This record gives sequence, C-alpha cells and structure tokens, in this order.
Amino acid sequence: MGSLIMDPTGQTTRAEAEMRLARRPESLRGRTVGLLDNGKQNAGRFVDELGKVLAERYSIGGVVLRKKPVATVDAPAELLDDLHDSVELVVIAVGDCGSCSAAAVADGIALERLGTPTAVVCTESFKATADAMAVVRGASGYRYATVEHPMAGLPADEVRARAEGVADEVVSLLVDAAVRRGAA
Amino acid sequence: MIDLEGLAGIRTSLEADGYEIDVTEGERVEVVISATPDACAECLVPASVMVPILEHALKVPGDRIDLTYPEGHET
Repeated sequence: MGSLIMDPTGQTTRAEAEMRLARRPESLRGRTVGLLDNGKQNAGRFVDELGKVLAERYSIGGVVLRKKPVATVDAPAELLDDLHDSVELVVIAVGDCGSCSAAAVADGIALERLGTPTAVVCTESFKATADAMAVVRGASGYRYATVEHPMAGLPADEVRARAEGVADEVVSLLVDAAVRRGAA
Repeated sequence: MIDLEGLAGIRTSLEADGYEIDVTEGERVEVVISATPDACAECLVPASVMVPILEHALKVPGDRIDLTYPEGHET
C-alpha cells in the first residue's frame, strides 16, 4: 500500500524524494500492534511496557513481539515481511545509539513502503543521525518519537515511565493523518 | 561553509556513543572521528553510511568530505 513518490521529471535527488507513508487507521482500537525490540539494552522491557500502555489507553486488540537479530544494521527483509503479514501497525524501539537509531529509522521507512504504518522511537541524542538516515533513505522529514537519553541502564520503573511518556506521541504517528502530509 | 547547527547535532550523537568529531574546512572538508576510551564500537555507523549522514548534516557534497575513522573500525 505504501508508495514512494518521485519527481516525474527525474530531477529529484535522493535527499529530495518525497515519500508517502502507509495509510493510517482512524484509531488503534482493536488493532494488532507489532512491537519490534531492536535488542538494545532495555528495548525489550520498553516495548513490553509500551504495549501495556497502548492496551490500557487505546484498547488495542493485541501485540505481536519480534526481536531484531542485530540492532545496529537494517532488519532482515524476512522479519519485516513477517511483521507486515502479521500485524496492522508496528512500533520499533529503541534507537539508543548512532547505528541503531539509523537502522531503526531505515526499518521504519522500509515497513512504510511495505504498507505498514510504523512508529520508531529513538532517544533524543540521536536525532541528527536519525534525520540524516531518513534523507539517505529517501524520506526527508520522516517523523519519529523521542524519549530522553539514555534508555540503557534505566531501572524498570523508569523504563515504564518512558513508555508512559511517549505513548501518545507514538499513537499520533500511527493514526494521525497529518503525519502523512509531514513526510515531505 | 559547513552548517554549524548540523555539526552540533552530529557531535551530540557521536558524543553519546563515546566519539569525538573534528572538522576542518578548506577546499575540502576534513572530518576526523576519534574514539574515547568509553566508545561503543558497534554504535558507530560504517563510514560508508557516515558520509551521506555528514553530507546531510553539514550541507556539503559528499565528494568534498574526507573522512577519517577510528583505526580498526569498519569502513
């Protein structure tokens, strides 16, 4: 369903390409959400807590947990295909280092191109890397959610607090039609 | 002229992973990334990925950038 819009004149550079995000649902109610743990420290706990918050606040239908084999490189195509086939929406977390932030954004863009609405969560320190990777992958202006850095090393209650704090932003990325216009 | 705000953003990201960045601009833009003792080896993107990241952040063409990476790091 997702598509990449290129300049028909052929003059568009990689950095100027416009990407249309996957079609968003009006709400998360009853939807199955894929939670992709990228393997960074506390990422698994974070996505687990985020899933609980989404269930509590937004009545999602359920979650499907998956884990990337390597945080610092793009997810295997088979894993993204599996998520695309298994769930309606995906959350990827957590971009808590340079390479894993870049890879998380790349994975999010890849899932959007497959047609799966996706929200990526990075820590604030890696916005420059995440933004640049979005440009590299032809999705300048790609939006993602941020939490305070770091995630690694936090005790469980603070991970839960991070999840509670970012949940609404994650949801706005997954359902807000305005986001689709913002990815230019 | 490199984009100093973009450089600051990249510097913040690199420092969070234990790296330092020095940029010298002349005819070409020389970028040296060095590791501190606390550097996270796997957290630094390959140099082949860093060049387009720098291109975007510094707002200079990639073919003007000469990038030096920490010794032994994947390029």
